[in-house]
Amino acid sequence: MKVTRRDLLMMGAAGTAGLLVTPVPWKLLDDVSIWSQNWPWIPQPTHGPVEVKQSFCTLCPNGCGMRVRMAAGWPVGVAGMGSHPISRGALCPLGYGAHQLNWHPQRLRTVRHRSNSASWEEARAAFAKACREGPIAIVDGYPGRAASSVFETFAQKRNGSYRAVLGPETRALVPYESWSGVPAAGLGYDLENAQTIVSFGAPLLDGWGAPGRFTRLWAERAAGLTEPQLRLIQVEALLPGTTPSRTATRAWQWVPVYAGAEAALAGGLARVLLDEHLVRARGPMPPMTIAEAADQTGLSTGALIELARTMVARHPVVVIANDGDPAIAALNVVLGAAGARGGIVRRTKLAEPHASAAADIDSARAVLIDSTVPWDFTPPTNVEVFRFAAWDGGSCTADWLLPAPGFLEEMTDVPSAPASAIETYAVAPSLLKAPPEVRSAAQFLGGIDSALMPTEKIIHARCADLFRGRAGTLQGTEATPVKKFASVQKLEEQLWKGAIWIDEPPRFAAFRCELKEWPASVRPAHRVGSSSVNWSRTWCAPVLPPLASKLYQESSLREAPEGRNV
Amino acid sequence: MNTKRTVVVLGLGLAVALLAGWVAFPRALYSRRHQPLEFRHKTHAEKSGVAECSQCHALRDDGTFAGIPATETCAGCHSERMGTSQAEALLVDTYIKPGQEIPWLVYARQPVNVWFSHAIHVKRAALACAECHSTYGESDEVRIYEVNRISGYSRDIWGHSISRLRRAPHEGMKMSDCEDCHRRHHLEVACLGCHE
Repeated sequence: MKVTRRDLLMMGAAGTAGLLVTPVPWKLLDDVSIWSQNWPWIPQPTHGPVEVKQSFCTLCPNGCGMRVRMAAGWPVGVAGMGSHPISRGALCPLGYGAHQLNWHPQRLRTVRHRSNSASWEEARAAFAKACREGPIAIVDGYPGRAASSVFETFAQKRNGSYRAVLGPETRALVPYESWSGVPAAGLGYDLENAQTIVSFGAPLLDGWGAPGRFTRLWAERAAGLTEPQLRLIQVEALLPGTTPSRTATRAWQWVPVYAGAEAALAGGLARVLLDEHLVRARGPMPPMTIAEAADQTGLSTGALIELARTMVARHPVVVIANDGDPAIAALNVVLGAAGARGGIVRRTKLAEPHASAAADIDSARAVLIDSTVPWDFTPPTNVEVFRFAAWDGGSCTADWLLPAPGFLEEMTDVPSAPASAIETYAVAPSLLKAPPEVRSAAQFLGGIDSALMPTEKIIHARCADLFRGRAGTLQGTEATPVKKFASVQKLEEQLWKGAIWIDEPPRFAAFRCELKEWPASVRPAHRVGSSSVNWSRTWCAPVLPPLASKLYQESSLREAPEGRNV
Repeated sequence: MNTKRTVVVLGLGLAVALLAGWVAFPRALYSRRHQPLEFRHKTHAEKSGVAECSQCHALRDDGTFAGIPATETCAGCHSERMGTSQAEALLVDTYIKPGQEIPWLVYARQPVNVWFSHAIHVKRAALACAECHSTYGESDEVRIYEVNRISGYSRDIWGHSISRLRRAPHEGMKMSDCEDCHRRHHLEVACLGCHE
């Protein structure tokens, strides 16, 4: 039988069809996809012993506890530390992917002077010259650390100034600083003992404070309960074309008001509380009437009165603002929440007051910005700027861009989280060796002034203070009272292994606010359609690790800030 | 062309494809490699009094799995030759005395983006070793290691059956196998559970 061309074509067609009912195409597809993961140019962690080390996230001042999985000495995974008293095992999406950040393409590895390559010696000479020529300002995004102490000392010695960029949680506590004399950094919210929380736009379920703090509380005492043990009343404007926030939609009660009318609502509520004697306080009396407040907020008079009664129906009640508006803060004073259990409390250890970075620094000859300061912070001045950063977020206006240590590359201490009710202290050890071309701002200043105390010595001195204080507990794999430690070395050793010192619970009596008159709002009221403070626009990370991008994009954990490509 | 001839030609093409796909392809896909050393689980269990898998394959204090014991553990008994076999000589002279680790070919090796916790499965879920590893702990030989020529991973990951049909419960370590088991036990299946 002669085999024709037609036979071959038919046989080929039958063979192709037959292959589809064999494992060949499907198995090849699977194998090729796995093969493509192992191309030699794709970085792979080294095979080696796997161990888990405890540390703390230093990407923001919340200092969440982390369990870092290390393979052959390199971090390959991050998980939350369940024993951390504030974060309680939770991390934000950025924290979960933070171990990928050091390999980000935008990692800074060279000194740049106005977009040109420069050396550390040139940068040091330029900053030393600026120090000689006039006062300098140092801006810190994570006050209270040992490095912050180095900054303050350096600035003081040169007649310069030390400024802190405060997060929204701490900014909301600033009004109490002027009324009580207690620094805002030493105040916190006792959310754990509150029964009613009235949030004026604070994104409590969308990324407020330490990620696990309120969300865990919410899960335990409110989520899914018809009559929750914790009532959350969310005051939040709904702008045209937007959807309500996760916090608003899940709150026990959502109060939509006109955008920017939060201060007017606070005044109206205070008026009702005082007029109807729903609180012990007798003042200060807001200048507006209930009807005026209702008109400005878009609520009816009856709804405003009902809201005030609901607020005080279950005590303790605390009001949380999204910014430092004194009118909203004053509502806490009227409610008696300032210095009370379940309200705003002073931590046992007094923090130092720090001038805000928004304060005038125009007279400075140069400004040094630490790598902890959010990338989009621009000093309100045209002087020479020395900007430390581990990652280049783009559009940098600083004269000098100085590469700083990346994630887990620098040993640093971790003071109490902003707005926390309890004092904590921890040390985040350096789990990775920093590349030789990076320097921290404290190291940079130490190179100019060799008399400055290194951060390691300051941390040691702080550990010695904790040991001498004999108060609190060290929470590591198990809780050990500080008084049981035989030496400061033992205590320090535990801290360096990832334990966290937790102070005694706060005492609520030693904090009193003196407020004679109702304060004016710092923001004028706007009607619908005008711009309002949107917390997501204030959020800024210079770069995102791939894992965080995936979490942000695919899980709608948090809406991406406008104009930012994640 | 008559119908009979067409059927024969098509049938021939189909048969060749089926034979190639189901018989030749699996054989060509995997190459066979021998482990660097002969090892008998059964002998160790009987003669050394090793009764539990965890006596050699231990969980560390921090919960991580120690995996295959290091030669340091073997040296506890085999610091000198304990017999006249070729494998014993190889173990002592090539690995234990020079302090070299044995380059075992690991049947369960997964890509580096996969995180599997033995501690969670053994301690929290109380799974017996045999549920995943079958009776390998009682075997009297080390199996041939079949490696996929394309992906570079062991055949144990896919399972012995190329069609993945009629597999024993312990066969296969693909992501879908993890998901199926978790679903059977009504457990959460989330990306971050295994991929960090």
